[in-house]
Amino acid sequence: MLICDEYLTPASLDEAFAAMERHRGRYRVVAGCTDTLPWAREGRAGDVEIPVLIDVTKIPELNERHVGDKRVRLGAATPIQRFLDDAALGRAMPAMPRCAVWFADDQIRAQATLGGNAVNASPAADATPCLEAHDAIVELASATGRRSMPLREFITGPGKTQLADGELLTGFECDAFPGYGGSFEKVGHRRSLVISVVCLAVMVKLDRDGKTIEDTRLAIAGIRPVPRRLREIEDLLRGKKLTGELLEEAADMPLDLVQSRSRQEYRRDVVRGFLVRGLIAAAKRAGASPDALTRELEAAYG
Amino acid sequence: MVDIRLNATINGRKVSRDAKPHLRLLDFLRDDLNLTGNKEGCGAGECGTCSVFVDGVLMKSCLMPVAKAQGATVDTIESLAKSGELSVLQKAFHKAGASQCGYCIPGMVMAATAALRANPFADREEIKERLGGNICRCTGYQKIFDAVELARDVQNGRVPATALLETDTADGDVIGKSVRRIDAPSKVSGRLKYAGDMIMPGMLHVQVLRSPHAHARIVSIDTSAALAMDGVESVITAADVPGKDGFGVFVHDQPIMARDKVRYVGEAIAAVAAEDALTAKRAVAAIKVVYEQLAPVFDPDAAMRPGAPVVHDYAPDNITKHIPIRVGDVEAGFAASDLVIEESYSTQAIEHAYLEPEAGLAYVDHDDVVTVVSPSQNITHHRHMLARIIDRPISKVRFIMSPVGGGFGGKEDMIYQGMLALLAMKTMRPVRLVYTREESIISTAKRHPSRTTLRMGLMRDGRIRALAMRMVCDGGAYGLSTEGVMRKAAILAAGPYAIPNVQIDTFGIYTNNTPSGAFRSFGALQTQFATESQLDIAAERLGLDPFEIRRINAMRDGDMTHTKQKLGSVSLMRALDAAEQASGWESGAPAVRGPVRGDLGHDDVRPSVTLGTRFASSGAQEAAE
Ligand SMILES: Cc1cc2nc3c(=O)[nH]c(=O)nc-3n(C[C@H](O)[C@H](O)[C@H](O)COP(=O)(O)OP(=O)(O)OC[C@H]3O[C@@H](n4cnc5c(N)ncnc54)[C@H](O)[C@@H]3O)c2cc1C
Ligand code: FES
Ligand code: FES
Repeated sequence: MLICDEYLTPASLDEAFAAMERHRGRYRVVAGCTDTLPWAREGRAGDVEIPVLIDVTKIPELNERHVGDKRVRLGAATPIQRFLDDAALGRAMPAMPRCAVWFADDQIRAQATLGGNAVNASPAADATPCLEAHDAIVELASATGRRSMPLREFITGPGKTQLADGELLTGFECDAFPGYGGSFEKVGHRRSLVISVVCLAVMVKLDRDGKTIEDTRLAIAGIRPVPRRLREIEDLLRGKKLTGELLEEAADMPLDLVQSRSRQEYRRDVVRGFLVRGLIAAAKRAGASPDALTRELEAAYG
Repeated sequence: MVDIRLNATINGRKVSRDAKPHLRLLDFLRDDLNLTGNKEGCGAGECGTCSVFVDGVLMKSCLMPVAKAQGATVDTIESLAKSGELSVLQKAFHKAGASQCGYCIPGMVMAATAALRANPFADREEIKERLGGNICRCTGYQKIFDAVELARDVQNGRVPATALLETDTADGDVIGKSVRRIDAPSKVSGRLKYAGDMIMPGMLHVQVLRSPHAHARIVSIDTSAALAMDGVESVITAADVPGKDGFGVFVHDQPIMARDKVRYVGEAIAAVAAEDALTAKRAVAAIKVVYEQLAPVFDPDAAMRPGAPVVHDYAPDNITKHIPIRVGDVEAGFAASDLVIEESYSTQAIEHAYLEPEAGLAYVDHDDVVTVVSPSQNITHHRHMLARIIDRPISKVRFIMSPVGGGFGGKEDMIYQGMLALLAMKTMRPVRLVYTREESIISTAKRHPSRTTLRMGLMRDGRIRALAMRMVCDGGAYGLSTEGVMRKAAILAAGPYAIPNVQIDTFGIYTNNTPSGAFRSFGALQTQFATESQLDIAAERLGLDPFEIRRINAMRDGDMTHTKQKLGSVSLMRALDAAEQASGWESGAPAVRGPVRGDLGHDDVRPSVTLGTRFASSGAQEAAE
């Protein structure tokens, strides 16, 4: 049970910083609360008494959303559900809608924020690998100034980030990939409401004929302390003709990705299957030529 | 505490009220506004019993601090049938028989309402996906999906609204007919009160102190600091029990709170009744217990070895129950067999996970009748046990069975009712205890984990000549239903098969694990898992079709069971035929199939699960790709 004496909902960044200053050492920031409330339960943190909760979801800057051709800027309080109901956003970040359908459920997505997902920094988080595939830059602000850094530097380990005391995550600046096909592969114990055992974000851009891979982005999570970009695979695929053999070659690259302590063998099998399946799905959505990939290949990884 | 002045529109009415800052929207709705239609099945976002609309968007109100509802429009299940007239979806749930225990149903109806608002033409797969945040443990979901499809079609004018009405049956003519459940309207509307929804004037709230240790002697319990707290009315321990303590379905080996020692993690030690749940919680934290650690035993086989820690003094060998069955001469049977297969099997503990966590309300009425209202699956037995424990004549003890939000055997044990009765007697006020999901999981019975060795002797033609089984079950710290489960397990171990030589031993063993108890199928699962698996192995070794080997050994009308029950009629052959046909079974020995089964891919085989069907139906998303 999460017990507080005061619940504040600042209406601006300045108000938030003032409250943080006033209650220094006695507050906790919350956004959607979908990580914080379940955390304050028996078996995890148990009953937690925090004098002041500061809810950042009503701060206008944290709710901004700019979708351009080259860049996307998303406020930290953007709910995951936006990737499903904002078509322009879905086009600019094509793996994200696919990630979003696998994220918790329709209801939690309406509350859970992108910023919360990053600051919570769970190795099994689903949105962070997608952001990583977009080379996301996190924007941080405090009463004394602003700074920014790549997401991959921001998340330093399970539950660990570079967020400093008195600082808020305000938003993300991401590369936009319109025209790419996107996919998201995830496995957990059931479909909805589960954390990932393995998850993979894939984006693919093909040439006009749908036969050659012009560009691709891949990032994986769930199997290591922090999400990992698969640049080796991206480099292998870029500029090559799209074939089943190529995708299988990519999946077979000896990258030793699985660092989880449990079920390593299983996870390795899943990673291989996900790489091929994710690339097939993304390539198809990118307009792959119908004869590029065989039916047998699709059936084998379907 | 700085209260929040909350201004919101709730179920169409303006509400302006002070709320404690730590409340979740769910607490505010249920406790402050008494809108108990939506439930708390988990408190952690996992089950969907708490789903409500906030500004038209469905949300889990257990994950939402009440302050987030400032200025919002909130609609609970009570908003759907405001004037008493059920919504189309609610009627469809009623018509389709989609509610069983009903505990998930208010949330399900809300999720279904949201799904059809998002896409009035959603197909079954999309409905499944959109209802993914809501769990039901009773129905298997199919009737729920049927109901949503029916409502969709009525709303879209594809079927007439009369499809929602009851098919007329002549008075009393119900056998073989599909009859609507008479309790469904109360469930689909959220009006049915489960124990955790009930309140009484002057009611106190109960919280329980539980053991962090698996096996420890209780040296002392100091409740003075807890008792001294403002708002605390009473704190009880085993020392307060006036009568002969002890409950259990077969042996009365479990005190209502730990007496002298604790035997498992989560065992109740003391209970507090206070003006509100938070005060009771804080009082529980103020109780000081001094323990002396004892060596624990967690493995039932280890517990059977000489010198193992003893869980109950009355059972120095840690055996709760041993059930032996002997028919014929198994050794002779094995000697005469063409093939003898020996394998071992194990099954794990399973939580019932009924959606309604345990809850109860107790009071002493005007005639001094100690009354306990709870979703107990066994009120008559509980009443008798409680009378002895509290030392009152049976005429002064009353149990009222509240609607059971799922039981599956898990609510047969009198785990908390004794504490409630005692607190009501001590305070002479109504007292209520509502478990959290975690408490329910940590402290109540599980399905018995088992280890089985099974020898089976067969003739080349598939006839079983002899079966010898030894199963050891982890009964956990207390007896509960273990004796009955071992009995049933033994009786059903050899399956519905005519076997001349049978030797079965089932053992329920005390350990320091969470107690095991009743769970639907009651012991049959563990032994049948072994026997049926072994029959498949035998079929493969003998080159027989798995259905065939079962037919060869099936008991027939007039046969005698291994425990000497004469069977008037046996429906096994019919059941086998039906299962074979319905599954589209590709006949032949298990080994004859190639890498691909011939019986997959027909209409009734479901494709593998995935998510994202909504992309196919939403034009906006299609354009995005
Ligand atoms: C049933 C269930 C299912 C779930 N399924 C998934 C899933 O499938 N995939 C997945 O990835 N996650 C899942 N989650 C986890 C959770 O929903 C996500 O991690 C979510 O993105 C957290 O966001 P939030 O806004 O709710 O976080 P909060 O709980 O509000 O905050 C989380 C942490 O981030 C900090 N924080 C939040 N915003 C800021 C900010 N702007 N600046 C500084 N610090 C901040 C908070 O202080 C806190 O430490 C699930 C959770 C539940 C309960
Ligand atoms: S999801 Fe809220 S109570 Fe279970
Ligand atoms: S009817 Fe769904 S949980 Fe019982």
